[in-house]
Amino acid sequence: MTQSFNSTILEEAISWIESGQQVALATVVQTWGSSPFQIGSKMIINEKGKFLGSVSGGCVETSVITECLELIKNKNSFKKIDFKVSDENAWNVGLACGGEMTVFIEQIN
Amino acid sequence: MKIETLKQIIKKKSLNEQFAIITNLSNGSSEIFKAESSLSKNFINFKNEIENYYNLKKNGIINETEIFIENYFKPVEVIIVGAVHITQYLIEFLKNLNFEVKVIDPREYFVTKQKFQNIKIINKWPEEIFKKIRTGSNTALITLTHDPKIDEPALKHALKKKFFYIGALGSKKTHKNRCKRLKEDGFNNKEIGSIHGPIGLDIGGKSAPEIALSIVAQLVSERNKSIKI
Repeated sequence: MTQSFNSTILEEAISWIESGQQVALATVVQTWGSSPFQIGSKMIINEKGKFLGSVSGGCVETSVITECLELIKNKNSFKKIDFKVSDENAWNVGLACGGEMTVFIEQIN
Repeated sequence: MKIETLKQIIKKKSLNEQFAIITNLSNGSSEIFKAESSLSKNFINFKNEIENYYNLKKNGIINETEIFIENYFKPVEVIIVGAVHITQYLIEFLKNLNFEVKVIDPREYFVTKQKFQNIKIINKWPEEIFKKIRTGSNTALITLTHDPKIDEPALKHALKKKFFYIGALGSKKTHKNRCKRLKEDGFNNKEIGSIHGPIGLDIGGKSAPEIALSIVAQLVSERNKSIKI
């Protein structure tokens, strides 16, 4: 019954866009095993890498931010990213808790 | 996601409406879904699945599809009877945990002398307020005055309306006497047993913020138990 729509993040996203910034929204859409954040957790990122909110306890944020910056730079509209502990990037971004998660990133326009 | 969709989400949330956001992960399109609302061509093929998840208030990627659904539903409203010291901490905790809060205290002194930020204390008797507002299985009651003439009309109302959570501050002895009076008023053991009294999880705390924390912990634990995922 908890609610993950954080109005503050969404309101901030609108204000960023209205002040001329480009904004990407990242949302946790799927989790397996022990994963720190619930489905629906959100983060917004602008073209300069400024961000608000979170999608994990800090385990995958850096990677999500990098992906969002690429998305904005390449003018792509969306991407689905899977994070697994067995991933080859495990040492960089793997989930220390042993969980797996999918994050959907999309540009707001 | 379109900025218009984002604005709609914020508006609907502020109006406490029940709705869901659905996203087609294979093409990036998203829209707002409500019971009996029509779906665009991006989603129409998954109508039954979307309705099923919506009715179960289930979040996530719908099985064997690329459709992500995230539900929004009315937060539990917590009615606190008593504008006491503990109440200040309760308000702080509750606002970060997606609860709506109302504070009632008929005692003029408490309303004017206690410092409360960002919330207006309703200076009326609980029975007057309960005549005016809609309450039920999505409402929680926390009574803190331990004055029977203020707390008990609220408790009786909450029992009759089958509130989601009912908690009453007071020692074991106070609670025992309270239960006795409720029994004399015709409430059965099961109803009386549904009151959390003494209120809160036992975390061994004595200070106002600790008591507030133990109450909020109990409330959240009850809310989590009710999630069927």
